[in-house]
Amino acid sequence: MALSNGKGLFESSIILVIDDDQTMRDGCSRILSKSGWEVIAAENGQKGLDEIRARGEIDVVLLDLMMPGVSGMEVLERSLEMDPNLLVVVITGYATVESAVEAMKKGAYDFVPKPFTPDQLRIVVKRALERKTLQKEADFLRRERERSLRDISTEKSKIRTIINSMGDGVLVCDQDGIVVLTNPAANRMLELSEDDLLGKSLSKANLPPELTSTIRESLTMRESAYTSVSQELSLGTCKEVYLRAHTAPVRTDVGEIMGAVTVFQDISHLKELDKMKSDFIAMVAHELRAPIAAVEQQLNVILSKMAGEVSENQERLLSRAKERTQGLLTLIKDLLDLSKIEAGMMVQYKGPLALQEVIQKVVDLMKGEAESKGIDLQFSSMPQTPLICADRSSMEGIFTNLVSNAIKYTPAKGRIRITLGEEHGQVRATVQDTGIGISKEDLPRIFDKFYRVKSAETQQIIGTGLGLSIVKSIVDAHLGSVSVESEAGKGTTFILSFPKEATPLGAEKAKE
Amino acid sequence: MPKKILIVDDDPDFVEAVAMILKSKKYDVVIARDGNEGLEKVKTDRPDLIVLDVMMPEKDGYAVCKELKADPRWNRIPVLLLTGVVSHIPTTRYTQQMGMETEADDYLDKPVEPEILVKRVEGLLSK
Repeated sequence: MALSNGKGLFESSIILVIDDDQTMRDGCSRILSKSGWEVIAAENGQKGLDEIRARGEIDVVLLDLMMPGVSGMEVLERSLEMDPNLLVVVITGYATVESAVEAMKKGAYDFVPKPFTPDQLRIVVKRALERKTLQKEADFLRRERERSLRDISTEKSKIRTIINSMGDGVLVCDQDGIVVLTNPAANRMLELSEDDLLGKSLSKANLPPELTSTIRESLTMRESAYTSVSQELSLGTCKEVYLRAHTAPVRTDVGEIMGAVTVFQDISHLKELDKMKSDFIAMVAHELRAPIAAVEQQLNVILSKMAGEVSENQERLLSRAKERTQGLLTLIKDLLDLSKIEAGMMVQYKGPLALQEVIQKVVDLMKGEAESKGIDLQFSSMPQTPLICADRSSMEGIFTNLVSNAIKYTPAKGRIRITLGEEHGQVRATVQDTGIGISKEDLPRIFDKFYRVKSAETQQIIGTGLGLSIVKSIVDAHLGSVSVESEAGKGTTFILSFPKEATPLGAEKAKE
Repeated sequence: MPKKILIVDDDPDFVEAVAMILKSKKYDVVIARDGNEGLEKVKTDRPDLIVLDVMMPEKDGYAVCKELKADPRWNRIPVLLLTGVVSHIPTTRYTQQMGMETEADDYLDKPVEPEILVKRVEGLLSK
């Protein structure tokens, strides 16, 4: 109470003297003030009670029992009602032990029989004050303890409340792979109740298997660096739900793994939008493609003179028209490819693949086109080139694109060389031409979407600026790399590398 | 006696152009506007070769091809599949997606160069 009034433990104590005898009041005040205590005096019971009520910070009351008006006993009772911790020392006249005993019974702390010496008074008051100090200290300690306990529990529940109101799901496992915390968002997204998860080991928690293995991996991760794994999960019993899960180990100060935290985001609506976008592009592209293909087919028939004779002027115009439709068709094809790559469809059939076969097939297909331009197209492969893990048609797309680019940008009598081999543990392919090359300024941007080199030489060549960005997306999706070296006027070399397939050479044959 | 070629495609302009190419090489041309009509015409007209579009409503070219190749009466008729979806190598993805091999005898991407179409048709017919 004293603390709540802003008064510290060791500040000067306040003593209230309630006595109708002026001499007694003055005497007590004098004696006690000498000891450094603050003394307040009240000449009757009512005034004394008023003081107690008004101040609220009185430590000890010296109370005369024999007073006119409100009696000492009544003051004692009422003051203790106001403040049960108040220390009341009664002053009893004529050494009436009975009234002293009665007062003690009613809750007085001590008594001083009249008459008393200054020392006697000081000793009694001092003892009372010491008692008061102890009381205050105990009170203070108790409050401190209560407060810190309360703080801890509020802090805990605060964090719990925050975690529970998060829109993202949270799942925490300890180092033994036991689920120790989930929040409602996680339960909702995973369609598993808290009871299904809490206290269960990973193997029994019914989590998506790919997530279980990610959490296991992160619990056994050795590197002390911060590592977090992000994956997409597809769930859903009634409707399809896509979650993105980020899993990271939780480490102690010394780097030991204490557990793993997984945060989930529901990306179903993003997926849906993305799919709608891809579907839309695909739909538009198909709707555009069919009529343009029909128009070009008609042009083809006329140009091949199967529909009758064509004058030289007509042929020139129609040839140009056909180039334009071809350009459009390539653009549409690229848009379709791009929407497929973005929809993740292009590279989902990864398997062991002999790049040599793929390139050979592309070269065979493009040979005619190269020859018609008088370009020498050669492919050489190192024997026993390792397999890569790749999607066959994507790889065919990449090399078709690079070779057809090389043919497009290489003048007659030029050369195109394709090589395949192993270097630094990677499978490496190069496509080199003696074409017009790419200037230094254009080089950094050639993998950008819709970027085309603008020059007098490229003006007549129809292209979309999408081909190389598709090549790059596909290579990225295969964890490979693509780079380009070029010198304007001399030629261009594209260098691709891919990680080797883990299974040994010939495994594909063995499977078949 | 000229060889008979069945063109199955839902795009009349495309059909007309392809028919013109084949007619210029003195082939007999029969036309069907969709997959079901195509299967009917196979029975009634007994073509020597089928030029089959892939992208058709209802029964697509793959389905038609599969039915033909499963039937011992027609499975010897060469099928030239016309695709309009992927560029040069159209078969792989479909094969992988469907988990089966389409049994078409040859593929061409739409639109086709008349000389190439003629060459492929000749090739298939001389087998």
